[in-house]
Amino acid sequence: MANLAAVVGIGQTKYMTRRLDVSIAGLVREAAVNALQDADLTWDDIDAVILGKAPDMFEGVIMPEAYLTDALGCNGKPMLRVHTAGSVGGSTALVAASHVQSGMFKRVLTVSFEKQSESNAMWALSNPQPFSTHLNAGAGGYFAPIIREYMRRSNAPYDVGIKVAVKDRLHGARNPLAHLQKPDITMQEVEESFMLWDPIRFLEACPSSDGACAMIIANEELADKASKKPAWIRGVAMRSEPTMYAGRDEVNPQAGRDCAADVYKQAGITNPRKDLDCAEVYVPFSWYEPMWLENLGFAPEGEGWKLTMEGATSLDEGGDIPWNCSGGVLSSNAIGASGMIRFAEAARQVRGDAGAHQVEGAKLALGHAYGGGAQFYAMWVVGSEKP
Amino acid sequence: MSQPEVLNQAFELGYTYTRSTGPVIGRFLTELRNRNIVGIKASDGRVVVPPMEYDPNTAEELSEFVDVGQQGEIVSFAWVKEPREAHPMDVPFAWAMIKLDGADVPMIHCVAAPSEDAIATGARVQVVWADETIGYITDIRCFELV
Repeated sequence: MANLAAVVGIGQTKYMTRRLDVSIAGLVREAAVNALQDADLTWDDIDAVILGKAPDMFEGVIMPEAYLTDALGCNGKPMLRVHTAGSVGGSTALVAASHVQSGMFKRVLTVSFEKQSESNAMWALSNPQPFSTHLNAGAGGYFAPIIREYMRRSNAPYDVGIKVAVKDRLHGARNPLAHLQKPDITMQEVEESFMLWDPIRFLEACPSSDGACAMIIANEELADKASKKPAWIRGVAMRSEPTMYAGRDEVNPQAGRDCAADVYKQAGITNPRKDLDCAEVYVPFSWYEPMWLENLGFAPEGEGWKLTMEGATSLDEGGDIPWNCSGGVLSSNAIGASGMIRFAEAARQVRGDAGAHQVEGAKLALGHAYGGGAQFYAMWVVGSEKP
Repeated sequence: MSQPEVLNQAFELGYTYTRSTGPVIGRFLTELRNRNIVGIKASDGRVVVPPMEYDPNTAEELSEFVDVGQQGEIVSFAWVKEPREAHPMDVPFAWAMIKLDGADVPMIHCVAAPSEDAIATGARVQVVWADETIGYITDIRCFELV
């Protein structure tokens, strides 16, 4: 049985198109300092640093962990870099959590980032290699056919994705850190935006953001003494599967279902829609909301879109299970950080510290990240009460 | 035994990137354009050149810039007898650790010298600026013996 651990500090940067005023080190540093301030701690209080980052080729800084050691106060401390493509922000938080849950470390800083304005994420995502399948499509081109298959199977109406795009931007307008601020967005505006990768329109895709996210995770003794309310980690799980194999269900991947079942079991969740108060789920393209509603067990297979269309996932419509109250990946996408932002925003909710996008009385929240060809999954459940 | 024929394909991978240098490295490069070299004062009082953003001991942000001299002393060196294409000079030269006047740590750069015998630890050198300075590290073309 793992030791108890909790989030005692959260720091983020304002997500935006370009942060020309800071180096990559300065960007990462800003989130880390914000987390230390939130926890009322100093560099000396940190025992180890766990850094997450999407592929090195994105910014072309090979082994950024070496370059960022001084910016993150790692001198004389263990530091480790985690790398699981787009899910990395989530798996980094889980590696940090396991450092504390194992009893080996008392208090760990975890940080993840992306500076998309200085990167080449579109093409560096899928480097062509000799004698292997070339997938020079970028993320949207890869996921669009999978979405089309979901639409075919579920008979979902064509505007489910449009609804998600509007809903998450309205959520984002409540969050001052969100990159896109579109409080007046309409279904018509999304529908009329140009088609990028059929069926994904421009406004149904995530933006490219610069930003970093950090958390401080502490053991039970230190979390009990934390300056602000901690978010107790109630379950942690990771799963992976190959990008391609015969018979793989790319619409509803087995690894995602298994990961959810594992994390729910640890947290005592039998009915995620009922037992959880909200969820921060990695939805970089609008249609992934209904797909993940099914993959994560919030709705039976083929019916996830109904929750979306009923407003169940909308804060503004008073839904019973709001998804991505922060605006989600559709409002801010600093790739390496995006998974950690989901985990951190789930923690903010159960700390009662989510400002204008707070779900009133949230006690139990899910943080979710996926990456690669929807093949890496990282999830945690955090709660306001110590288990 | 004959060598098996193995599939083989030339493979080159490259992307274009930009970089924001931030307030510290950015200042250092801007000063180079003005033919000036700056270091930064660390928490223990040492002047570090090129400047670094964060203190190596306390991890605090550093901001106290210090102008250092355009002359300095060779701390150690390695002579390059046969320069290759990628080297900064096409005649024999030295890579050297140079402690600039007013700095407490050396920085690495190349030193032009007529021969290996002409260079030594403790030798004095001075900066040679490029004809046109643009805010790159190559604004310092090399160092030469005083």
